[in-house]
Amino acid sequence: MKIARLKLEASVPAVAMGDIAFLLLIFLFILARTNDTSHIRWKPATAPTVRSASVAVAEVAIDADHKLFLNGRSIGVASFGTELTRILGDRPAGQRAVHLKVDLRTPAQYFEPAIEAISSAGGELVHILEEDKPAQ
Amino acid sequence: MMRLKRRALLLEPPASATSDIAFNLIVFFLVCASVQPDTGREQLIPKVDEQKEKSRQSQNIEVSLTPKIIIVNGEPVPLEKLSSRLASLLAGKNKPEDKVVLVKSDQATSYQRWIQVTGLVESAGGTITLRLEETKSTTVN
Repeated sequence: MKIARLKLEASVPAVAMGDIAFLLLIFLFILARTNDTSHIRWKPATAPTVRSASVAVAEVAIDADHKLFLNGRSIGVASFGTELTRILGDRPAGQRAVHLKVDLRTPAQYFEPAIEAISSAGGELVHILEEDKPAQ
Repeated sequence: MMRLKRRALLLEPPASATSDIAFNLIVFFLVCASVQPDTGREQLIPKVDEQKEKSRQSQNIEVSLTPKIIIVNGEPVPLEKLSSRLASLLAGKNKPEDKVVLVKSDQATSYQRWIQVTGLVESAGGTITLRLEETKSTTVN
């Protein structure tokens, strides 16, 4: 008597496909946020009226130790202007937003040259601020 | 006549998938929470031609900023009166180039104070232009 060999089927579970695709989507979404500035220590200044900021082409930050960052990377003041000009390229007006995140205690000698460089590079400056909350 | 029994449909979600759904939901809300949009204030700082700037400097309003004092055209002004003072100085000026306010900050002026004052200048109708101190080094033999 001949015994038929049991056929083993190795199929991928179709139910999990949706989950895998969804997780991949989230993973790629996080990865796309290349301008991560979460490691920079800074406390935003406050203003009575703030608006939702548009999408930035570049993100400039000055941390609590007065260090300058461009798109999350530490950069020297001398090369900052040229690097920002390169990033902004030939983008048309309205698509040249540059977010500026400065620690509220930073003295003018550190943030004014950065503002001037953004202006010279043709960037559309957006100060990242927090709304003034009235004391309870 | 024989009656056929209808088979009941089983509409129960597969129990094995519920943990996956819960995990995906957690990840989704975590990502949503971490991607909160920034808030801020746009500021137009015009690029000024140096020659034109020099010829116009005397006509523009000048705001000097130190950590404790605000001086408008050489006259100290308290913070609470700055907006009304600037509004009166800018009244009657219609051309954009006449509305330029030169902001000269002391090197120790904090960003918080600068934001506060420039916000008042802008709300009074002025256009901010920075006046930075130039540093020149000379070698004496």
